[in-house]
Amino acid sequence: MKKTHRHTLNCRSVYKHICENLDADINSAQCREIRAHIAGCDNCTAYLDSLKKTVHLYRAYPTPRMPAQSHKKLIAAIALNKSHNIKQ
Amino acid sequence: MTGSIQQLSDEQLIEQARNGNVRAFETLVKRYEQMVYGFSFKMCRNKEKADETLQDTFINVYKNLKQFNGKSKFSTWLYSIVTNNCLMNRRKRKMDREMMSLDEPPVEDGANHHESIPSWDDTPAEKMMNTELRSHLDNAIHQLPEEYRVVFVLRDIENLTAEETARILKLSVPAVKSRLRRARIFLREELNDYMVQ
Repeated sequence: MKKTHRHTLNCRSVYKHICENLDADINSAQCREIRAHIAGCDNCTAYLDSLKKTVHLYRAYPTPRMPAQSHKKLIAAIALNKSHNIKQ
Repeated sequence: MTGSIQQLSDEQLIEQARNGNVRAFETLVKRYEQMVYGFSFKMCRNKEKADETLQDTFINVYKNLKQFNGKSKFSTWLYSIVTNNCLMNRRKRKMDREMMSLDEPPVEDGANHHESIPSWDDTPAEKMMNTELRSHLDNAIHQLPEEYRVVFVLRDIENLTAEETARILKLSVPAVKSRLRRARIFLREELNDYMVQ
């Protein structure tokens, strides 16, 4: 049964680690200790989860396709620059 | 002939483009234009500005192809140019609102609160990209200063490594990690009220 710990210095250092590494699988003694803390702390679990969801939402935000017109405009602009040839 | 030019590596295309082969350059454009457009869009969240940055970026690349030294990947060089264009456009638009200080991330303050942190509900896939949520995501990232936004986009959205990001932004790896941490915290805080409703 998880507990909601009162925030202590321990939670604070866990937060810092969470924010830097999210759930990166780093196998140092400190990381094992932090993972053990998170497993027993509802607040840290909720915080880690919300940070991961933040990143996930931005990753899932669809990127629009470049309009065909943009490509045509770009190729025309490059042709215009042809006179300034790369070969100088 | 068309098939063969498309099979050339970036390095081969760059070499040919440097020797005046415009078709080789156009092939590079086709290979990377969506990446440049997408990255620009993620930075400015605006299709017109993304298009403007796309044009500026490839014209710059075309003019400065000789400066590409091949020590990094071509895509890394492109990311550097897009980043510079985005940051320069911001200065041009004189949108330098007072620089928000993220030196003191809110998490430290949050860690002193003695209340429990509410969980964010799982967002169903079909609901995830509704207009309201997109608008919140756009607003939150717009509030994030561009120096932090670019780190967040490169690392967390484009999946570049800390080392690549550091090279593009001419920062140290610890500085990239610090900005990423602050950016994540900032965005999380901005979205929190909406996500716990």
